[in-house]
Amino acid sequence: MSESTDLAVSLGAGTISFEIDGSLYPQDALYGAAYVFLDRCYVLLDRVSDNRVRVLLRGKTKDAALDGDALAGEFQNELLGQTWRRKIAEDNRSLIEAITARALGGAAGPPGLDDLLEMDVGSETAFDDPLGIAMSWEEKYAKGKSDAAKTAKDAAPADAAPAEDPPEVTP
Amino acid sequence: MNVQNPLPAFRPFVAAGAAAQKPLDLVEVRYRPLPNAGGDVLLTNPFGDWVFVTQGEMSALVRGQLDDGTPLHQKLAAKNFIRSKISVETEAKRLARKKRFLAYGPNLHICVVTLRCNETCVYCHASRADMDQVQTDMSPEIGEKVVDFMLQSTSPGVTLEFQGGEPLANFPVMKHIIEYAVQKNRAYGKQLDFTLVSNLGLMTEDKLSYLVDHKVQICTSIDGPEALHTKQRVLVGGNSHREAARWIERINKKYIELGLDPTLYHVEALLTTTREALKYPREIVDTYRNLGCRAIFLRPVDPFGFAKKTAGRIEYDRREYHDFYRTAVDHILSLNAKGEEILERYAAIFLTKILMDEDSNFLDIRSPSGSAIGALAYNYDGSIFSSDEGRMIHEMGDDFFKIGDVRTSKYRDVMKHETVRALVLASIRETQPDCNVCTYAPYCGIQPEHSYRSQGSIFGQMRQSTLCSVHKGIQDFLFEKLHTGDASTVDTLKRWTTIRERSHFIQSSAAS
Ligand code: SF4
Repeated sequence: MSESTDLAVSLGAGTISFEIDGSLYPQDALYGAAYVFLDRCYVLLDRVSDNRVRVLLRGKTKDAALDGDALAGEFQNELLGQTWRRKIAEDNRSLIEAITARALGGAAGPPGLDDLLEMDVGSETAFDDPLGIAMSWEEKYAKGKSDAAKTAKDAAPADAAPAEDPPEVTP
Repeated sequence: MNVQNPLPAFRPFVAAGAAAQKPLDLVEVRYRPLPNAGGDVLLTNPFGDWVFVTQGEMSALVRGQLDDGTPLHQKLAAKNFIRSKISVETEAKRLARKKRFLAYGPNLHICVVTLRCNETCVYCHASRADMDQVQTDMSPEIGEKVVDFMLQSTSPGVTLEFQGGEPLANFPVMKHIIEYAVQKNRAYGKQLDFTLVSNLGLMTEDKLSYLVDHKVQICTSIDGPEALHTKQRVLVGGNSHREAARWIERINKKYIELGLDPTLYHVEALLTTTREALKYPREIVDTYRNLGCRAIFLRPVDPFGFAKKTAGRIEYDRREYHDFYRTAVDHILSLNAKGEEILERYAAIFLTKILMDEDSNFLDIRSPSGSAIGALAYNYDGSIFSSDEGRMIHEMGDDFFKIGDVRTSKYRDVMKHETVRALVLASIRETQPDCNVCTYAPYCGIQPEHSYRSQGSIFGQMRQSTLCSVHKGIQDFLFEKLHTGDASTVDTLKRWTTIRERSHFIQSSAAS
């Protein structure tokens, strides 16, 4: 295998396996790289020693012979790429959080997507309707049921989205 | 079944080896070497910006080389890829605008007024009943409760869409619902409109007059040329294609008589791309043109209407669908180049996000998906589902997506239903394996009902999802077209993103 640096490949019937140094890569990157192969291969990750992880790829279709070198090279590229991308994502985490919080959950506006993401799914009380979607029209916009229509119009934000499924996109 | 398009073998990380390092001032990026972009690599960022870089430039980025003042730095800075040049305020406003649909509840309300249908279609067994099965008709009382429930939504605009079965088979109840909704909405003042999805086989002049007078938008299904359509949609004692074509022409004429602009007001038709249809990409487009349709939605067959054993006959490898899609849209683009205005709707949905930095709130391609929080489906018996697809799964014997009943449920309880909560979590692209690193995540979305039906879990596995494959394949194609830089093609693609509201169909909500 010409391209690999730390992969040892052994080819069996429709199966390849190789070991990588698990201490070099974040576990999420390893899972992310393995995931990319799920449409073509059955994937097994196995820890063979403290730092060594064995990757086993078995082709899903019997007829398609696996190109072991190509697959191992692709796996390694994916693993390094996911690691690289994750490091950049780490550097940007606070920026993305600031933008998301400002866009969807600022003090002046309603709570937003970040609240949804933080929900404790396991708890009965987790879903506290941060976006007010579960409130009825009257609850969200009206002061009282008697003047629902008036209040609804008054309270509707100026940039209220029109009925939109699907929008009429015409030439 | 193969689902993913193969990508070119470009391995900059292996080539860099130990020299790989992160560039210091780059925003979070996702990258994809496109199949037909001359070796160039597409980069996107979480804000929805995109740029092409050469393989050499990508290799430099992989090595952390991004010095201020270099052409690569300038190119990336111009497209919002340099962190130190990002304005939190500006990006927050962009995101808030694109996600504004999150501030409201469901705006699409699908009302199944009957399961009875006069046609038998190859891809629809589960959700229809024979014409004598009148027990599957919605009653006027249930219809009223559907309207009462719909008007509770926190959305300022609501669309009530009549579906079936064939909705015209229960026309008296449909009429009752329309009149009740218009009257009831006077107290709510919502932007209300009606849509009918019909095969048109039961249309009459009287029904048409009523629908036009009451400003009900009419949509139908056209599967392609007559031979294909009639083979897939059997109308006992008649020709399903000729019936549909006859009424499309009649309805379009009626709109013209009303003085409405025919480029905006015409019958919309939907395609279901079966295995047989894959053979006729150009012919299908031409059929739509001949019927006066200016938009075609090249939807692949979905897995909801038929039993798994039927799938073998009508399903197909999604790579065949990609070929079909590319041929059909290339044909559409060549027609546009000759001055004929016709668009493909899948492309328009993605291009609106890619080129216009807008989200048109198409419910099945947004994040989180519109299941329940953007749309609800009401069955003839009053049961409420997170979507029409969820209702079809119920007709196949699985109640997973049933979230209430108009006779007993409160709006708040339905919106807080544990299934709704799970559907939201399952459809946020940024939290899903594979989507979280996918170049197309800023523009994409997956309906969790599709993952459930095709893969057994609302979370799905995108690598093996036929829907993900379709979305990736279409976005690959669109970005390849943008990469060519061909002025005529890019102009056409931009034109497809123009949103023109059909205000004629909006009901007056003036208080009486
Ligand atoms: S569904 Fe597929 S194409 Fe869409 S963001 Fe996820 S992985 Fe990408």
